[in-house]
Amino acid sequence: MAILKEAYKALETIVGARYLSDDPVICQGYQSGPAGYENGTGYERVMTKLPGAVILPRSTEEVQKIVKICVRYTIPYVPYSTGFYGPRSHCHVGNELLIDLKRLNDFEFDEKHWYATVGSGVVYSQFQEECLRRGGYVVIGGGGAQASVIANLIGDGWSPLSHRIGLPHRRILGTEMVLPDGEILRMGSLAVGDDWYWGDGIGPDLRGLLRGYTGLRGCLGIVTRMAVKVLPFQPERLQPTGISPNTALALPEKRVKWINYIMPSKEAQVKAMYEICKAEIGGAVTKVPLFWRAIAKAECKEEFWDLWLKETPETVANFHIVRVLLIGFTSEEQLTYDENVLSDIMMELGGQPRRTKPSDESWIKNADSAGMWLMCGSYVSVDYVIETLKQATEHGPVYAELKKKYTPPLMPDHGDPGWFQTFELGYQGYSEFLIYWDQDEDTTGVDHFYLETSKMNIDHRFYTALIGPHQPLYLTGPKYGPNYHEWMLKIKNEFDPTWTCHPPVPFAHDEFVERAPWMHELKTWESPKKSIYPKWLEKQLAAEAREFRESLQERK
Amino acid sequence: MKHKDELAKIVGRENVSDAEDVVLRYSRDLSLVPPGRPELVVWPTNAEQVSDILKWSNKHNIPAVPVSSGIHFNGGAVPRQGGVVLDLSKMNRVLEIDQDIKQVRIEAGVTWGQLTAELAKQDMRVIMPLAPHADRSVLSDFLDREVPTNTVYDYGEPMQAFEVVWPTGDIFRLGSASVNGYPDSGSHGGNPSGPGIDFYRFVQGAQGTMGVVTWTNLKIVHGTKKDKVFFAPVDDLAYAQEFLYRLLPRRVGQEVVLLNQTDLAALVAENFPGDFERLRATLPPWTLVIVISGLARRPEEKIAYEVKFLQELVKNEFRGLTVDEALPGFPGLGSRMLPLLRNPWPADGPYWKNRWQGASQSLFFIARPEETPRFVEIVESIAPQYGYPVADIGSYIQPIEHNRACQVEFTFFYDRKDEACIAALYMDAARALVGEGALFTRPYGDLAPMVYERAASYVSGLKRVKKIFDPNNIMNPGNLCF
Repeated sequence: MAILKEAYKALETIVGARYLSDDPVICQGYQSGPAGYENGTGYERVMTKLPGAVILPRSTEEVQKIVKICVRYTIPYVPYSTGFYGPRSHCHVGNELLIDLKRLNDFEFDEKHWYATVGSGVVYSQFQEECLRRGGYVVIGGGGAQASVIANLIGDGWSPLSHRIGLPHRRILGTEMVLPDGEILRMGSLAVGDDWYWGDGIGPDLRGLLRGYTGLRGCLGIVTRMAVKVLPFQPERLQPTGISPNTALALPEKRVKWINYIMPSKEAQVKAMYEICKAEIGGAVTKVPLFWRAIAKAECKEEFWDLWLKETPETVANFHIVRVLLIGFTSEEQLTYDENVLSDIMMELGGQPRRTKPSDESWIKNADSAGMWLMCGSYVSVDYVIETLKQATEHGPVYAELKKKYTPPLMPDHGDPGWFQTFELGYQGYSEFLIYWDQDEDTTGVDHFYLETSKMNIDHRFYTALIGPHQPLYLTGPKYGPNYHEWMLKIKNEFDPTWTCHPPVPFAHDEFVERAPWMHELKTWESPKKSIYPKWLEKQLAAEAREFRESLQERK
Repeated sequence: MKHKDELAKIVGRENVSDAEDVVLRYSRDLSLVPPGRPELVVWPTNAEQVSDILKWSNKHNIPAVPVSSGIHFNGGAVPRQGGVVLDLSKMNRVLEIDQDIKQVRIEAGVTWGQLTAELAKQDMRVIMPLAPHADRSVLSDFLDREVPTNTVYDYGEPMQAFEVVWPTGDIFRLGSASVNGYPDSGSHGGNPSGPGIDFYRFVQGAQGTMGVVTWTNLKIVHGTKKDKVFFAPVDDLAYAQEFLYRLLPRRVGQEVVLLNQTDLAALVAENFPGDFERLRATLPPWTLVIVISGLARRPEEKIAYEVKFLQELVKNEFRGLTVDEALPGFPGLGSRMLPLLRNPWPADGPYWKNRWQGASQSLFFIARPEETPRFVEIVESIAPQYGYPVADIGSYIQPIEHNRACQVEFTFFYDRKDEACIAALYMDAARALVGEGALFTRPYGDLAPMVYERAASYVSGLKRVKKIFDPNNIMNPGNLCF
């Protein structure tokens, strides 16, 4: 069943024929997959569909009208900005309307008050350039500068620059959102006027609906415009250099400087981070996995493998770099001060400075995620964790141990225990654990590993980003909060009673486990016998599950 | 008696009271909010008891009003519709201090006086609002979004992961404290976000209408090694704001405050009315206070580069401003000011705002710094209409995070006999300020309807969320838009 002709016509009156299409060729362009992130996983194969139609609104009012039509005709829809975030941000049910927000690309800067107001279509490369021009900067999330600022901030929104900059949920100011029922919610200072500069709510703060640890993946409305904090940087320009793809920003050496230190042990590496945070210096402080170095050096897949296969579990285990970005926010003298303090710390801990290029190839410029699927074709951050530095430094080795069981199909990485760094001058520590695989191989092990990490986190009582819409809620829900899933379900039912907004998220991973026979052996938790969905969705999901089973039979 | 007996079964007979003097004590505070008489006061000692009390409240449809502090200034804890007051002052443990991750975990009843003393033993401190009363609950003040005097950090929001008892009685731990078995866990409570959605946001600024927070993790900082306090006399507020727009984004200073002569005199006077009147008459119209600090390492060098920038900025761009370690004519002010900025106001005497006339009422809101002269003008034009001398208005501007915004606070000092007049002035000034764009994110008492009538879509959203967590509207009803 395609989108009703009557509904299609109504949508067309909103945006015009030019910005609405159900042409299969256009729809194919919105298929999940080729971007690398979570590419080829079972979740992607089982849970993503081509859109029934694609619509490109230009304004909040148009988004509101579209949503209201979707509710009236029970058309499922998903908001979409750049589609970077793999299958989770693509259509999950048949005949879904994909609302591509790239035309919402208005941008206004308030230099005096350090914020910019951006539409959902504005991406980080534009944003960072405008910030740098004005002596400010932002965190370009690890997803890369091609990601939508808003989507990134309501989903993830961090990088090594988070050492000094607040967590993403603290950087969201006035925000305009179309709720799943089509009502417009204006938050922060926008709630009582037309000024965007402040984020707190009038009384309780409804920004709580925007995101959790990581985002809701578009299942609780569409943010159309947001004011975002910009952080004061230093006044000198970073000069672009190089020829694409080997580009960099040349750093003014007296104001901005990356320094790498080789540390004698992991203990010294961690201690250095604590001391840097205690001294409150630096603009970024991160461990550098050996893996990154190989990625950075390699210009093609073959070169990466040449470099990587020379490493061993021992070289990986004994590689302890602390990479520090020093920024003279106040003056050149500040940079000198920070460097002196850093030197003192490293002297005490036996850190040896390494020659570091006076340029930035990644974190300030573009957060080079594109290199991450170079090696195998597919990758995912199987978990990324904002907690304390204590958890961050203990978490990775546990992952590495579990990972051995699933290698292959996961790429052999010599037991790499991931990456960790500091956030908010040490109030948080961050750890991230990336996995890589070839999407053309059997990815059952990838699917299993992904879910088993959740059980592992529960067992070790670790907090982890990929609970919420990324893991089965009936697995994680009872173990966190407890029962955060029940509150989420109540909120979903209140604000989206028809479940037209990106169904069946946030319960999509539960649905995936039910649907995929190869996941059943891992299901050790209880799910409700009675459907949590409205009738139309229950029926549609059942039909699509049946269709999937039949397709598996046919393949057999 | 039936209610008292039932609650006694939950908290013990010694922890429930309907004695007249007790009930009266909780029926009003130091604000202009009219009194409301509770039926009972209970003192729970743990989250389970809080949960049972809230379940009981739901069963009997009786309002429940959480109270953590020993003193209240804004009316948020007045039981406007009666019911049961949950006084959390017996939940007053400092549960853990971790210097590595710069975090303390405290219960709701821990006061500023208690916490600062405990942290000082480990050379740690908590960034704090201007001279909070020593008997105020730290947790309550941060839940209420009291604005710290520190402007240099990019990330604000001192509260980390915490535990809340939802109005339904469900005990819920959020953020990274949500893991099973916390704190006996790999997670240490350093992230307030999630799980799933940002539950913590719903409780902030809620004036006890969205649940009872029983403990929280809180950011703390290491003690400074050396401090220098600078003063700048200010005649032209707009000029001072332009200076702060240039200075604060360069991350100079720890505490930065801007006080008019009445507020500064009320804060630093050693006796009343003599010293206070002398100061008020001779202080400049405004005084900008900037504390520059040396931290754990090379403290002198840190102070040196910040001072150098400050002095060069004045010399090159703001010649109309004199910034010095001494305020001309007020020797020793620096050594008096720093302890005031780093310590709570002592509990063994009247609060600094109440020393002069016995009572005070503050009106505070968020604004763009460049708008502050206009807001001052508005209040100064309204006060005389009520016979209130302009010179008696206390004005305090707190820059926030690199001066991206500020909190403006006007204080009307008054004698209790003039309460009706002050109440009228307060409301009239608030109405005028709201009309001119002042952002009241913490609308107490009668300010709430004034603010919410301008926020239709936000109110609708709030009510929808409230209905989920508090279906019977038992939590502190009559406040905000609930």
